[in-house]
Amino acid sequence: MDTKPCASGLSENAVVITRVADRQWHALHDDLVVGRGHAQYRPDGRLFLSIDSWHDVVFHRLARVMVAELPSPLYTVVDEADVELTARWRRAGFAVGRREWEYAVPTDPRVTGLEAVLPPSGVTIVPAGQADEGLLRDVDRAIRDEVEATVGWWQSMPAEVFPRTEGDTVVDPSKYAVASAAGRYLGLIRVVTPIRPRIGLVAVRAGEQRRGIGRALLAHALVTAHRSGFATAWTEVHESNHAATALFQGVGARPMSSNLELVR
Amino acid sequence: MSRNKNVIEVEGRVVECLRSAMFTVELENGHQVLAHISGKIRKNYIKIMLEDRVLVELPPYDLTRGRIVFRYRN
Repeated sequence: MDTKPCASGLSENAVVITRVADRQWHALHDDLVVGRGHAQYRPDGRLFLSIDSWHDVVFHRLARVMVAELPSPLYTVVDEADVELTARWRRAGFAVGRREWEYAVPTDPRVTGLEAVLPPSGVTIVPAGQADEGLLRDVDRAIRDEVEATVGWWQSMPAEVFPRTEGDTVVDPSKYAVASAAGRYLGLIRVVTPIRPRIGLVAVRAGEQRRGIGRALLAHALVTAHRSGFATAWTEVHESNHAATALFQGVGARPMSSNLELVR
Repeated sequence: MSRNKNVIEVEGRVVECLRSAMFTVELENGHQVLAHISGKIRKNYIKIMLEDRVLVELPPYDLTRGRIVFRYRN
């Protein structure tokens, strides 16, 4: 363990930036690594940066080198409450691209008011793990095409960071519950629980919206989480997605923090 | 435990979530540090919460601060 103290007033000229691997940089000062930069492609093709350093000087040296060597546009994510880090990225030329609220969603039906919520007549909810994979992929593709053709922002929806085959948006079919009617899937909800339940996607086909299907899918997912012993689920909602905001706030979800996606 | 000879890495437990995206982490030796989340963790949307077990990187010149570089699964 090397505990050699760093100079508190680090001189910019004394910091050497080295590319140590593909899309990885180190900032060296007196042979010590005093900062690291990393760039990573998301499955949607966008390039996200991160920089970890204890010093402003090091951060900006790394940012300058990375921005110069990488193709634009470049993205990063910060917690809006982290004023210092946000300011560092702004100084590096990044601006807010979008804001996403993180919600804590209660699962107890007595709190959510979803106790008596049922799907519309003729519609059944197929629990996660029981959906037909072919029909699931069909409805997922159809919904994404519908959104892309209208508001057109699904590609910038919350980044799905799991590796997947190009063009395949259903990583693990067992994580989806679906709304089904007459052998056709009308909507879906995806919940993953690495440690705590996270609602990654809830969506209904365009012609089937405003019938209570999304609310029924959400009720099913929350009751399932509650029965598994989780009092709270988590989700992120783009600030411009008013329908999703209303859906989650309507069941008592509380905004806990906000993430900023910065772009340069 | 250290994976990098230039930094000190210690396991700890999140005992307080503070404003400004900071956390109080109690280390294995009982000391508490004020920690923020590493860029790599944030980039991958990994959520840190109360009671999470985490790996914290400490700067060698200030052992009261830290950076959460890994969250354990339990």
